[in-house]
Amino acid sequence: MGFLDQFWQLSVDGLMVGSLYAVIALGYTLVYGVLQLINFAHSEVFMLGSFGGLFAARALLPGDGSVPGGAGSIALVAVGLGAGAACGGLAAFTLERVAYRPLRRRAAPRLAYLISAIGASLFAVNLAGKEFGRQNVDLPDLFHNGTVFRLFGAAVSTQTLVIFAVAVAMLVGLDRLVAGTRLGQGIRAVAQDADTAVLMGVNVERIIIVTFVVGGLLAGAGGFLYAMTFNASYSMGFVPGVKAFTAAVLGGIGNVRGAMLGGLLLGLVESYGGYLFQASYKDVIAFGVLVAILMIRPSGLLGERLGRAA
Amino acid sequence: MRRRPFVGAVALAAVVALSATACGSSGGGSSSGKETITIGFQGVLSGDNQQLGLNALYGIRTAVSEVNADASSPFELKLVESDDGGSPDQGPTAAQKLIDNSKVVAVVGPMFSGATKASEPAYTQAGLLSVSPSATNPSLTKLGFRTFYRVIAPDTVQGKAAADYLSDVLKARKVFSLDDKSDYGTGLSAALEAELKARGVALTHDGINPTKDYTSEATKIIAAAPDVLYYSGYYAELALLSKALKEKGFTGKIVSGDGSLDPQYVAQAGKAAAEGTYLTCPCGDANSDPNAAAFVASFKKVNNGAKPGTYSGEAYDATMALADVFKKLGKGADRESVLKAFGSVNLQGITKTVTFEPSGEVKGSNVFIYQVKNGSISVLGNTANLIRS
Repeated sequence: MGFLDQFWQLSVDGLMVGSLYAVIALGYTLVYGVLQLINFAHSEVFMLGSFGGLFAARALLPGDGSVPGGAGSIALVAVGLGAGAACGGLAAFTLERVAYRPLRRRAAPRLAYLISAIGASLFAVNLAGKEFGRQNVDLPDLFHNGTVFRLFGAAVSTQTLVIFAVAVAMLVGLDRLVAGTRLGQGIRAVAQDADTAVLMGVNVERIIIVTFVVGGLLAGAGGFLYAMTFNASYSMGFVPGVKAFTAAVLGGIGNVRGAMLGGLLLGLVESYGGYLFQASYKDVIAFGVLVAILMIRPSGLLGERLGRAA
Repeated sequence: MRRRPFVGAVALAAVVALSATACGSSGGGSSSGKETITIGFQGVLSGDNQQLGLNALYGIRTAVSEVNADASSPFELKLVESDDGGSPDQGPTAAQKLIDNSKVVAVVGPMFSGATKASEPAYTQAGLLSVSPSATNPSLTKLGFRTFYRVIAPDTVQGKAAADYLSDVLKARKVFSLDDKSDYGTGLSAALEAELKARGVALTHDGINPTKDYTSEATKIIAAAPDVLYYSGYYAELALLSKALKEKGFTGKIVSGDGSLDPQYVAQAGKAAAEGTYLTCPCGDANSDPNAAAFVASFKKVNNGAKPGTYSGEAYDATMALADVFKKLGKGADRESVLKAFGSVNLQGITKTVTFEPSGEVKGSNVFIYQVKNGSISVLGNTANLIRS
């Protein structure tokens, strides 16, 4: 079977995974835009959100293993997304308060943030391992999964559709938030020049915490979507975290639309590459593309600044 | 059998505490007056496939508690655990921990083939006997490890039987053989493919390192349209692969080996995706074997009601074989004498009669076929009988 026969199927798969990368990547890019800080504990916010959504959905599922349908399915997915987002937001808020804010108050050097992030990440991973077990945890089916329609011969399943639609809705929502609201103006102002923003009456501390929480909400909801296909586990955050970071850098870190573009592109490249070569080379291909693009455009595809590009 | 890790941790802590106090008392002259013999366990006690390690550990604990409860036994057994996470990188360190403990005279383990291959040079150098309940890579007994024995048949036996079953019973004309590129997976897939080729079955081979995202692999498998997919790897990955295949509407049969034979497979894949999957294993099912009823009862008593799982019986047999050797050696069993005597052991175990070829390979073994039915794994029978009927 040739690559061209499967091209559309691989594109559908790639866009689904890529939209998840994009959702997570936004958390990296927003925080970087505002603080010039890579929040390496973001992958654990994603993991905790995933468990939050999973447990909420499980608690509401009928215990007999039957798959709900219709309104029940919609409600379950909504609850899962909400719980995932809430847990992610809470985790991001706590992270900012515990791991970053004390450092900012003491005007600590950049390196201290990095160490603090790694420490918080290790703590969260092991806490989750202890509390939720070290086995993968399955999220039971929340709706009847099957092929909805075919796109040039490629089967698009309910699950793919749900994940892609929710992810895109979140991406568009965030783009509107940053570009068109007062809060977004504040975020952009702090990203452009924090000192001047203070002079103009922007509450920088508030903007920072809101930025973290918004990133956490997205990552948490994204974690729930991720668990639908790939199960949840205490160590699930690392690989998607690194991929999302790659996506953010690929698109231009600090740039909201860049993160979206980077995520989708990375998903597609991985999907094609995994089919053309061996699936195990997926990561090699993804990072190879990153290196290649950075050699030509060191500031990423769409350039760096949150303030300017959004 | 779905054990809560928390309970496991408490049990572990309790055992550590108990053994610590036992150690304290034996230091001042054991109250029972019996000699204490220490054995080690090297296996996978953390990571994605931890359940297989727990299965074996509980089997060993059952054997240890039976021996210690036996008033006629001239010695007491003490167990020291060493976790290698199932990975070749951590294997040598885990082995060294047991080797450095001069009280340890024999080891049950290592468990996974890759970790075994990496650990065995250290055991051979130290002259410390290791009896694996589960490492099935065919080459392990051919690498000159004089300390290596196993109570489970190698994958050549399993691969051949699985291939016979696929072509004779499942009537597969086109098979997609996928392995996880580990020492275990490649050994099993090679054995399977050799027999399938000999039978003229069309074959596609692919390898994929353990990952979470099997979507493009699933696309590839479906594009090849095989009657049967045989996955040579462990349950955590098979669960994700099954989910991806179901999501894409794969209509062929999914078959895998002993590394995936665990209720965790069904739990992680979800009942719908796991339903119908066949699993092959050179291991019988203690829970449904009337001859093993006493073992199952004793296992449940020792391990807080947990049922025996894959490799539990083998680990129990390995420990009992060691105890048998200790009994024959009498006082002063040390590493050298245990290693020397173990090759001639002849014990009726619960999984098979434990006797060895000079290479360390266990003599004679059956391969069983299991299937996921209504969300639980049940045994269909012995391959030879299934093919005949």
